[in-house]
Amino acid sequence: MIKYIIRRILESIPTVIGVTIISFVLIHIVPGNPVRIMLGNHYTPLRAAELTKTLGLNKPVWEQYFIWLGNLLQGNFGFSYTYEKPVASLMLQALPHTIIIVVVAVLLAHVFAVFLGSVQAYFENSKFDQIATVINYFFYSMPSFWLAVLLVIFFSIDLPWLPSGGIVNTQLSNPGFGDWAKHLILPIATLFLVSVAGWARYMRSSMREALLQDYVRTARMKGSREFRVIFIHALRNSILPLITLFGLSLPALLSGALFVEEVFNYPGMGLLYWDAVNARDYPIIMGVTVFVGLVTVIGNLIADILYGLVDPRIQY
Amino acid sequence: MSEVLNITSLSVEFNINGEYYHAVNDVSFHINAGETLGLVGESGCGKSVTSLALVRLLAKSAKISGKALYNGRNLLDLSLEEMHQIRGKQIGMIFQEPMTSLNPVYKIGSQISETLRLHNKISNDEAKRQSLEMLRKVGIARPEEIMEEYPHQLSGGMRQRVMIAIAMINNPQLLIADEPTTALDVTIQAQILDLMRNLSRDFKTSLLLITHDLGVVAEMCDRVAVMYAGQIVEQGLVDDIFFNTNHPYTQGLLNAIPKIDVQNKDRLQPIVGNVPSLTRMPKGCRFATRCPHAMDRCKMESPPLMEIRENHQSRCWLNDAKVV
Repeated sequence: MIKYIIRRILESIPTVIGVTIISFVLIHIVPGNPVRIMLGNHYTPLRAAELTKTLGLNKPVWEQYFIWLGNLLQGNFGFSYTYEKPVASLMLQALPHTIIIVVVAVLLAHVFAVFLGSVQAYFENSKFDQIATVINYFFYSMPSFWLAVLLVIFFSIDLPWLPSGGIVNTQLSNPGFGDWAKHLILPIATLFLVSVAGWARYMRSSMREALLQDYVRTARMKGSREFRVIFIHALRNSILPLITLFGLSLPALLSGALFVEEVFNYPGMGLLYWDAVNARDYPIIMGVTVFVGLVTVIGNLIADILYGLVDPRIQY
Repeated sequence: MSEVLNITSLSVEFNINGEYYHAVNDVSFHINAGETLGLVGESGCGKSVTSLALVRLLAKSAKISGKALYNGRNLLDLSLEEMHQIRGKQIGMIFQEPMTSLNPVYKIGSQISETLRLHNKISNDEAKRQSLEMLRKVGIARPEEIMEEYPHQLSGGMRQRVMIAIAMINNPQLLIADEPTTALDVTIQAQILDLMRNLSRDFKTSLLLITHDLGVVAEMCDRVAVMYAGQIVEQGLVDDIFFNTNHPYTQGLLNAIPKIDVQNKDRLQPIVGNVPSLTRMPKGCRFATRCPHAMDRCKMESPPLMEIRENHQSRCWLNDAKVV
């Protein structure tokens, strides 16, 4: 098992390096110049030339890449142009904010999708199944940023129950846990709603198939009640596709969080990345890219390990 | 002798494109305590549907009518909760597909002890002890290790032994075995049949054995009911069925058994044609199109099940002609 994990990590190194090369080249091809953005109104050709040299942007792209990669291998993510702080510390600041909304949304969405999909499959083609399917498709087809804006309109403006953005109410002298939690509700709700719909569909079809299997008939023949048949006998067999989705969902949710964080002005990795792209802040962009690459690798690894735990036929 | 199971006029209809068709039509039989009844017929004649109907494991869309008295209680009228208590406790069932009938993600031990724990308030250790004992009884070598293994680590024969252990562990009064040896190779078949015969004798279990294999019937059964196209066409003691065969279909089944000692050993005698489909049942005798003795009457009128001697019934107009 440990051998397998180590092999998988080693195998993923070329992938991550490939991702960095492509991102590095792409971000340099994209029009826009960080120097111009940094100088703003103080722009003069002389200052621009000076700053370009200081940042090392006058060197060929491949040379810049190897300098960046060399630094990365020494654990140095570089220095942000706009914030004038180490990229690593900026990411460490933003990361917990993103982790909390993504992890809570993913876990809630998974539990709910498993339950909803199972019940839908059991009552296939009933009124309940049909209504749930319509609602599922409604949220499935909705872009996260659009849903986020709608939620803000409903719950922050029409019904001013929840804050529209940020993570603290600056007008409170002593904003506590309650205030913080209130700021998390809408971002988490957005990510939850856009993910749960698709997963429930997967779960429904997977459970539908499982319920037709011979071992389900055996379970009934033993005298199991229906709840046990569904949630003990069929569930563990039908949850495998959702584990794969779980692994794939981690990086996808980080990018989904990008739009959501932007709408809610929520200071996580997504917003950091968004602002960096607008300012052509290359070190941050590359730092976040490497991070998302790592999360992808780790997410798939977690999925594979979970697979082995759930299904005894799979061994590493 | 007391009757464990008495089925009267059992019919099962399935909805195909908006219309209901009979898969099982007016089937009646009974099983006495400790007796083995063979339900015989070729694929698609309604044997499995009959057995699944009486334990109420058919899809909800199936329309079931008639009576299935188990110790005097009509299984078809019981509440779901009452059925839960009967399945696995009083009626055990073994299926045709040992490869897929066990849950692939749970250990053998837990799948056997589950049946115990669903019906008895016993401790973990006690359930484990009894499961181990049951595994020994079904002839599994090194049962301690098998308890900790998963279905995919076992052969088909071993899995069917485990299925038998699951079905028998609560000492049911009735065991339904739906083609229990069909998927197994011949040497294993004999072992599994032996095991079932010994267990049902030791546990005093009545056995409803569903099979298409007359060899199995000869070896195992006290009485036989032959099914064709959803109906029982001949029913009687096993000796009568084999030596006083009445119905042409039964005769056809017997002729179709490969024999090694006859002169014309190069040719099997199959029953020509196929079972009529559910949606296109003939009006008269359902076997008429394949029957070598078919008369005009057979194509027009459906024959009733006639008593031709004590404990021997047959659904054939030839018997009526004899009477007349």
